Amino acid sequence: MFSGEKNLKSFFWAWAIITAVGVFLSVFLTHRYMPQMMSNDGNLATETTILFSILAAPVAAGVYASALHVMRTYRYRGEGVPPAATPIRENTKTLVTWLTASAVLTVFVLVWGLGALAAENSSSGNPLIVNVTGQQWVWTFSYPGSHVTSDELYLPENREVEFRITSVDVTHGFWVANFGVQVDANPGVITTIHTKPNRLGAFVVRCEQFCGLNHAFMESVGHVVSPKQFSNWLTSQPQRA
Amino acid sequence: MVTTLEHTATSAEPKGGGLARHQNFATAIIAGGILAWVFWFVARRLFFADSDNVSDEVAVMTATGWMIGFWIGIGAFNGPFRWLVGRDHTREDDLYYAGHNLGRARYWKYTTDHKVVGVQYIITTMGLLAVGGILAMAIRTELIVPGNHFVNQQVYNGFIAIHGMVMILALIVAVSGPWGNFVMPIMIGARDMAFPRLNALSLWTLVSAAVLLVTVLAVGGLPVGWVVMGTIADQAGVGMDFFAMAIVVFTVSTTVASINLITTVITMRTKGMTLDRLPIFVWGTLVTAVLALYAFPFFFVAELNQILDRTVSTSFYVAAGGGTSWLQANLFWLMGHPEVYVILIPAIAALFEISSVMARKPVFSYRTAVGSMVALSGLSALVWAHHMFTSGWAPALGGPFMVTTELISIPTGIFFLVLVGTLWRGNVWMKLPTVWMFGFIFNFIIGGVTGIYLSDVPLDEQLHGTMFVTAHFHYIFVGSVLFGAISALAFWFPKVTGRYLNEWLGRISFWLVFIGVQITFGAMFLSGLKGMPRRVASYDLAFEHTNFISTMGAYIIMAGMLVLLGAIIHSWRKGEPSGPNPWQANSLEWQVPTPVPLENFETEPVVTEDPYNYGEELVNS
Amino acid sequence: MTIDLEPHSEMHGGTPGHHEPPEKVDARQRLGVWLFIGADVVTLGALLFTYLYLRGVNTDHHWMSMVGYKGSLHTYAYWWNAAENGTLKNAPATVYVPLISTGLQWLLAALTVVSAGLLWLGEKGLRTTKNAKAFSSMALLATLVTLGGIVVAAILLKDIPQIFVTVNDSNTMSYTTYDSAMMAIIGSTIGHLVILAFLGLGLAIRSARGVINGDKWHQVRLVRFFWVWVAISAVVSTLITTTITSVH
Repeated sequence: MFSGEKNLKSFFWAWAIITAVGVFLSVFLTHRYMPQMMSNDGNLATETTILFSILAAPVAAGVYASALHVMRTYRYRGEGVPPAATPIRENTKTLVTWLTASAVLTVFVLVWGLGALAAENSSSGNPLIVNVTGQQWVWTFSYPGSHVTSDELYLPENREVEFRITSVDVTHGFWVANFGVQVDANPGVITTIHTKPNRLGAFVVRCEQFCGLNHAFMESVGHVVSPKQFSNWLTSQPQRA
Repeated sequence: MVTTLEHTATSAEPKGGGLARHQNFATAIIAGGILAWVFWFVARRLFFADSDNVSDEVAVMTATGWMIGFWIGIGAFNGPFRWLVGRDHTREDDLYYAGHNLGRARYWKYTTDHKVVGVQYIITTMGLLAVGGILAMAIRTELIVPGNHFVNQQVYNGFIAIHGMVMILALIVAVSGPWGNFVMPIMIGARDMAFPRLNALSLWTLVSAAVLLVTVLAVGGLPVGWVVMGTIADQAGVGMDFFAMAIVVFTVSTTVASINLITTVITMRTKGMTLDRLPIFVWGTLVTAVLALYAFPFFFVAELNQILDRTVSTSFYVAAGGGTSWLQANLFWLMGHPEVYVILIPAIAALFEISSVMARKPVFSYRTAVGSMVALSGLSALVWAHHMFTSGWAPALGGPFMVTTELISIPTGIFFLVLVGTLWRGNVWMKLPTVWMFGFIFNFIIGGVTGIYLSDVPLDEQLHGTMFVTAHFHYIFVGSVLFGAISALAFWFPKVTGRYLNEWLGRISFWLVFIGVQITFGAMFLSGLKGMPRRVASYDLAFEHTNFISTMGAYIIMAGMLVLLGAIIHSWRKGEPSGPNPWQANSLEWQVPTPVPLENFETEPVVTEDPYNYGEELVNS
Repeated sequence: MTIDLEPHSEMHGGTPGHHEPPEKVDARQRLGVWLFIGADVVTLGALLFTYLYLRGVNTDHHWMSMVGYKGSLHTYAYWWNAAENGTLKNAPATVYVPLISTGLQWLLAALTVVSAGLLWLGEKGLRTTKNAKAFSSMALLATLVTLGGIVVAAILLKDIPQIFVTVNDSNTMSYTTYDSAMMAIIGSTIGHLVILAFLGLGLAIRSARGVINGDKWHQVRLVRFFWVWVAISAVVSTLITTTITSVH
């Protein structure tokens, strides 16, 4: 398809430049805009975003460079109806190359995703269990075994935590952007997710399923603290049966 | 020799028609209003509802009254009734229904001529886009700064679902409605659709459903999000009843339209129009219609269950009674994902058609392109649960659904190959349809690639439910499908009106919309990455800048769409005359006169090759 | 594209000005009916999916039981008053609902099948003996049988037990998920039977008026396709709803 092509050099330059810009933007914007991750799953989300962006850049650049090339080289500049062009109905080589490339990319993305999914689902055992209850429009967190119920979420650093999530009214979405995990809180059902906080600091628990009037304001504050601070906090809380 | 109607008709005064002579859009509105009132009045007596607190039963009855009244008023029941009593339409009646010698009045009636229905679909689509667009502006204006300032939170919540559903309806019909009806039958050499009266039925049931859907705004909106998730929908007011009734009727409309399109393509092709000579747009409408026929019954049942839950207190989606909103989510997305391709494939297929004409070259890899459309629609039936990755339903299925979803990128990739391959080494004619096509190519890669992020289950657990998703599907729906639809409009506009769509206004509109899309949805990606949830009336300070930028971009899109509206109105009335075949295209719709006569062809065309043989004589000689 | 204009070729298209050969129209309409049946198959699939899904998840054992007070539509006012006055004597208890009568369900399916058989017989008679009057009576008989089916379905619906629940300050007569799914399936059957009654009545009138006769019987076959499908769907759904029932 490229043999005897005009302006071929500028086509490749355009492709290279757009790819470079794309890679730069994907790394820069991801760093600039994705929240500071505070768990293994969150780090994975950032890595995957950057990886996919870097993979996508040359693909998108290929399409853009081709479109620009068509506009520059094959645009009809005369008056009136353009004459017919040399017909190309099929080109097996191009088709096979294209299919192979997209199949390879797809398989790579799949393998990456399935691997990450398996890693995410593996549990290290003995997690801290937190019961999360959504209701219009607050989150409540309780710690089984300690009779502590709180509207702020405290988690110890470097210990796996298992959230057991339910709702008392409509469906809510339990989501911590800094952890890279979310699952719906469904009435009548308990759903679970795991994560392992690995960075101290504060975060926000948001609702990501539309749940009525004050959905936009259904937020809770959370803290990842050291294990010692966590047990101090736990004992300092009023014990509710 | 059989002569056409245009020649045999001597008297200007149409005979026949019976009751239909007195029926039009106005009588439909009046009859619908009256019957809605009657049903409301009776239902209120029946269900003891007081006037302040209208119950769901009353709302469903009122909506039913509106529908039945509208259909009586427009004349949808005339045919079935006459069939029942054995007094079938005479030839004069059929002529009257086809809009023969009715002039402009035929556009306001239950007209069977496929070209009239096509124009009616254009107007319906524009009306729906206008309503959805105004709501979009209200939504973006509210989100211009954090906090709740411009649109009351309750009103805002009521807007989002209607904006979503109205736009979805608009895009479902945006390409296959106007062009599947106006040009597709001519393209295959047919005199009309297979079932002309069903064609009118599908259009007017759509109109009756669309009116009801917009009415939801007047009864308190629909504060549930457009996916009308079971549990939250249970709390919604009578707007939800109207919504569910509108969807039930809408699914009937699409089913009827699909049956008609499929039957037309299969049985109405002219001599020599073999399947491998079909213009590729016809393939697109065929594949779409098959997919729609499969998908929309799920929506029908999903909303029927919802109506039962609300009116007779069944427990399909009510957790307290043992129901589950996962059932609703499954039924909804069994429809919802195929529906995305019902929206996308006609636009893609139209662009294949346009790219060939504008590049003066055959469609590149015709068979592969058709195969990709078929593969895509097949796969789309197997990916629905990727919308439920984070719902908690069947986490074990995350892997399998990730596989099917990511396989979709292979046929989607083929679309780029076909489009670029057709343009490659062509003599590309840079007219308005081509300009919008390049916009499509630019946006579709962004929308397509970001879809892969969301198909990755672990990453979806970060991005699901955020503005990232909203930006992704707006790149598909606005950036791609709408661009494709406008390209198709610019391309076939001369066939409908005999005039070009104004090139310069069209280009101004293009640049405004194109730049607006990049600003609005580009910034929206960043809001989502940063962690801003969807469907919120307010947001944290952290999302301030990107939202302000998105809102500015949205205003630019609106400006561009208004310019386009101006271009359409101006060009329809006094645009530059185009003649019957302005693009010197080969397919059949360009070989008939403009305006296209009733029944399209004076003599049956016989086709001996496909419409893409630009320049092949050159090679052979 | 090369287009040969053949001035003497036969016109085609389903359009007003041209009376096409009836076989051509019939072939087209047959495809249309098959496609409609196709959409109806998906609809039935969605209904049965609903039934099997709700049975499969059986949230809180609510498939065939529910916490509340056993009642019926007629007792709604009684329960409601009791709830309002705070005179509900006992605490709400788990109410177990019975299976919907298998016999009546099969009777409904049987009536649908019989009506389809009657129409089919009538069609055969029409096509062999060309006796339109005899067919008219047969179509009318089939219609009456479908009306009987509607009555049976109405009885089934009426007998579905309702449970008075007081949840979150809302007092209502509710249904278990089993009964909910059954209501949708029986309701869909009623909808189909109403369409069949309309079609059957139309065939009866049309054949009595001679619009349908020994030579013009194609519409009868079209209706029969749909009628037989409705009979099949009634048997299929009854088979499922009578064999896959309670959760153990």
